[in-house]
Amino acid sequence: MSEVRLTINNQPVTGLSGQTILEAAQAAGVDIPVLCSHPALSAWGACRMCVVEVKGMRGLQTACTCPIADGMEVQTETTAAVDVRKFVLELLFSERNHYCMFCQMSGDCELQDAAYRYGLDHFTYPRPYQKLSVDASRKYFIMDHNRCILCTRCVRACSEIVANHTLDVRARGADSMIMADLDVPFGESSCVECGTCLQVCPTGALIDARSAYGGREKDVVHTETTCMQCSVGCALDVVTRYNRLLRVDGIWGSEPNDGLLCVDGRFAPLYEERKRVTSPLVRKDGKLVEAGWDEALSTVAARFKAGGVQGLTTCATTNEALEAFAGLFAKAKGEAGLLEPVAPVLGYGTTGKLADILDADFIVVAGAQPLDYQRVVGYFIQRAADHGATVAVIADTENSLTKRATMTVSYADADQVAKAAADAKKIVLVYSVGIKSRVIAAFRHLGDRLYTLALSPGRNERGATAAGLKHAEPNGAQTRFFLLGEQSEDQALTTKVDGAFTVVQASYLSPLVEGADVVLPTPVWYERTGHTTDYAGVVKPVAEVLPKPAAVRDDAEVLSALAAML
Amino acid sequence: MIRSTVLVSGDPISLSRGAEDTRLAIEAELAFYGLEDEVRVGYTGRVNRTDVLPVVVVYPEGIVYGPVSPETGATIVSEHLYKGRKVEHLLVSAEVASAEIDTLGVAEDTLYAQKRVVLKRAGTIDPYSIDEYIAYDGYFALGKALTSMTPGEVLDTVKSSGLQGRGGAGFPTGLKWTFVAQQPESPRYIVCNADESEPGTFKDRLIVEGDPHAVLEGMALAGYAVGASEGWIYIRGEYAMAKDILNHAITAAEELNLLGDNIMGTSFSFHVHVHAGAGAYVCGEETALLNSLEGERGIPRIRPPYPTVYGFRGKPTVVNNVETLANIAPIILNGADWFRAIGTERSPGTKVYTMLGDVALSGLVEAPMGTTLREIIGIYGGGMKGGKAFKAAQTGGSSGTIIPAELLDVPMDFASMREKGVGLGSGALLVCDEDTDIVDLAYVLVRFFKTESCGKCTPCRVGTAQMLEALDRLRKGMARRADLERLEEIATYVQQASFCGLGQAAPVPILTGLQYFRSEFESRLRD
Repeated sequence: MSEVRLTINNQPVTGLSGQTILEAAQAAGVDIPVLCSHPALSAWGACRMCVVEVKGMRGLQTACTCPIADGMEVQTETTAAVDVRKFVLELLFSERNHYCMFCQMSGDCELQDAAYRYGLDHFTYPRPYQKLSVDASRKYFIMDHNRCILCTRCVRACSEIVANHTLDVRARGADSMIMADLDVPFGESSCVECGTCLQVCPTGALIDARSAYGGREKDVVHTETTCMQCSVGCALDVVTRYNRLLRVDGIWGSEPNDGLLCVDGRFAPLYEERKRVTSPLVRKDGKLVEAGWDEALSTVAARFKAGGVQGLTTCATTNEALEAFAGLFAKAKGEAGLLEPVAPVLGYGTTGKLADILDADFIVVAGAQPLDYQRVVGYFIQRAADHGATVAVIADTENSLTKRATMTVSYADADQVAKAAADAKKIVLVYSVGIKSRVIAAFRHLGDRLYTLALSPGRNERGATAAGLKHAEPNGAQTRFFLLGEQSEDQALTTKVDGAFTVVQASYLSPLVEGADVVLPTPVWYERTGHTTDYAGVVKPVAEVLPKPAAVRDDAEVLSALAAML
Repeated sequence: MIRSTVLVSGDPISLSRGAEDTRLAIEAELAFYGLEDEVRVGYTGRVNRTDVLPVVVVYPEGIVYGPVSPETGATIVSEHLYKGRKVEHLLVSAEVASAEIDTLGVAEDTLYAQKRVVLKRAGTIDPYSIDEYIAYDGYFALGKALTSMTPGEVLDTVKSSGLQGRGGAGFPTGLKWTFVAQQPESPRYIVCNADESEPGTFKDRLIVEGDPHAVLEGMALAGYAVGASEGWIYIRGEYAMAKDILNHAITAAEELNLLGDNIMGTSFSFHVHVHAGAGAYVCGEETALLNSLEGERGIPRIRPPYPTVYGFRGKPTVVNNVETLANIAPIILNGADWFRAIGTERSPGTKVYTMLGDVALSGLVEAPMGTTLREIIGIYGGGMKGGKAFKAAQTGGSSGTIIPAELLDVPMDFASMREKGVGLGSGALLVCDEDTDIVDLAYVLVRFFKTESCGKCTPCRVGTAQMLEALDRLRKGMARRADLERLEEIATYVQQASFCGLGQAAPVPILTGLQYFRSEFESRLRD
């Protein structure tokens, strides 16, 4: 890209070829108002807020679509441009219900901001709008058509970022409405509730069910951290107020997800209803009763000293905790293992990144279900499919990606996929524990053109592997120690293992916890501090968003204290 | 052996007036006289004036009867075809019967004569018969180009002919083709815009219904000139008959290797597909048309890049109107100089108009560029209906305007009209007499645009609704002077700020209405 020199409001500005006036202006600190434009989305040019005057060009130009050129002279706040912006705002305020006072976005609304900026203090035009419906058929967020300005950011987000194509506009002209699929309630549509549309909506048309009216931007605290709901490790912006979780946003431009989150990263963990373990518990006379940390830890240490110890952990915790866990069992001369299976190392190809999916022309998904378990990866694959990449799914069971795949074959026919990939320039092999040796063998010969993306079912499998932990099953040892962290329902071990002394370190009550001899409370995702290792092996910080309950201690700290007692 | 051919006009108006029954009656009567092996019966596209429909043309004499009912159709068979006597009282007119159909009662040598380039064959041949097209010089231009001209020479001929796009904007066709030919990317595409939806415009339908191969030949020539081997005709969904005729014509041309692979044994291949629109006016806007053709929502794209660079499927694409394409073959066949001799210096060639409203004779007119509105109404339209005074004409479409009486003598060509601040539009001439209420006219036109706005951009989506609301208040006598000022302001802003031609055109009836007939708007005010 070459440099382009132009002036904006008589100030010399240097931009890059291919940039729009809006991008060059933003880089130079010139604020041009926008409504339909969003940095993460393609240019649309429809709201007409960003009109500017360019010397020598007829009429007004939309800054968000007009490419810059050498010698261009741009004026952003001329009377003509400002008049059109006011006109556009007056029209938008006449179109639907924009009584700001009753909107939860008041104060944080881009439409309202623009109206203040251009001094709209009354409704200029008659408001013939009819009452439109509010669609609350989704659990986590609500669509209020009355606040919608039809900027179609949500439609573009759904198509371009998530590549799910649920949203579109129905009818035309003044009757235009955002709709899901063929105009069904959002909750009954193909919507995956990733919330990307919610994050890009400039007005109060899309409302987060949890955080609505919970606090304006000026009242809230933002904490950046790393998602630990699956092995991908997306960057999160957790929004809190008065020590209360409000919502989770994606961070545009962040690695690896570039702002895109899934329902598990953005919404589900905020709706946790299980009962928390808030203090150590020790079984006395057949009943679990609250105990101090000293009592609980010395009870465990006493059993450890007797030998015959096996420790099993989920990897849903920090690297620090996993290292301490491995260290503890080394010192106790016991065995330490990982509850989740780990995707095998293939021994060939380059370790890929999510971005590699987007510029690959051939994507193989083998033994993995990214659309169900590492959804962001699934969305990236959908995007690649939209751009024309061939997507081949190798599976013997149903796979949600099949509907977007170019070809779906059984494991027995893996060679067919390898054959189809023979002429591809860049191949990404996305796999998980389900991959079979036949598939591994089939792609070995592709060499430099192959990038591999291993998706393990565990959340911090790379951290666990780095700590030396391997997948293991309960082995009949006399003392068992489970570090479950914040276990999800499906991976909880529900039965107490036949008569052994069981220690469980967990956040929530579960049948296993209730059957344990000693229970040690552990922090939940937003209370942890430390690091996690993402899908590509990059170590990322995990920040404490909210303080832990008084009697809950950090995993690594507890495990180290226990080791010191041996 | 066939000794005579009888063609019954088969356009929708004729059909609605019983042309089907007329044809059946003629066939029955022919069978009665045992003439079915000697006389061929077919349909033809519309001839010209609606008052004579349905017409029956008898060849080789070229005699035109009309309007013909089933009963009189039978008479024509028994008298003309069986006994060899003209049925005098059924003749369209002496001029028509004695001269070529395309002159319709006007001497060929005067300025006022309908000069037929585009409609030369329409109404004289059976659109379902490729043989008849070929008999009238059909596919000669393509043959000439493929065998004796380079693509560059074809392009240069079109360029020097000065042909301008007939969809309304008047962009130089040769220049557009050059842009596409210069693109390094391929494949390239030719798209024929037959999504004719402008109010009062139906010229493209009649061209296609009357002479489908002229459009196909034009597309093939365009493909040859710019290096495209595939073309799409995006036809208005309601034009079921035109679509059927086109599909029939494509098949017939392919059978004779006039379309398809290695046309006439040369290395040039050209395939044409027909795609029906789904009823959205905005899809006549070329980028919305391309979106729709690709299966996307029919809304305009950001320009630049223009379709010549990033068109159908992201490839360089020529998008031309039906009438533009129908001009190509005659230009190639007769040369650029021949074409430049017709019309005016700045706008050569002819223009096809659909005249309707308060004129004595409504219908299809092809006149040289530069013919004035007064001439068109007076000569081809037979004057104003009932001898009333002319008040205004609306030229139709997204570049059309309201033309007042003081502009009746402006030569109708792109440049002259633009200089006067009005537009030639798509070719509709909605003629309004003294009784017409301009506010009502503006209301009807704005209502059309409001209904047809795609809703993408704010000014058009909301602005058209607000303009309509304001006009309605004015019509009902509820508006004050400030409301009228506000209406003018909205109209100005909508024109300035809209995304595409539709929004920019929507306020034109109001703005030109106010420019020439302000007092009429003011007379509706409350204060």
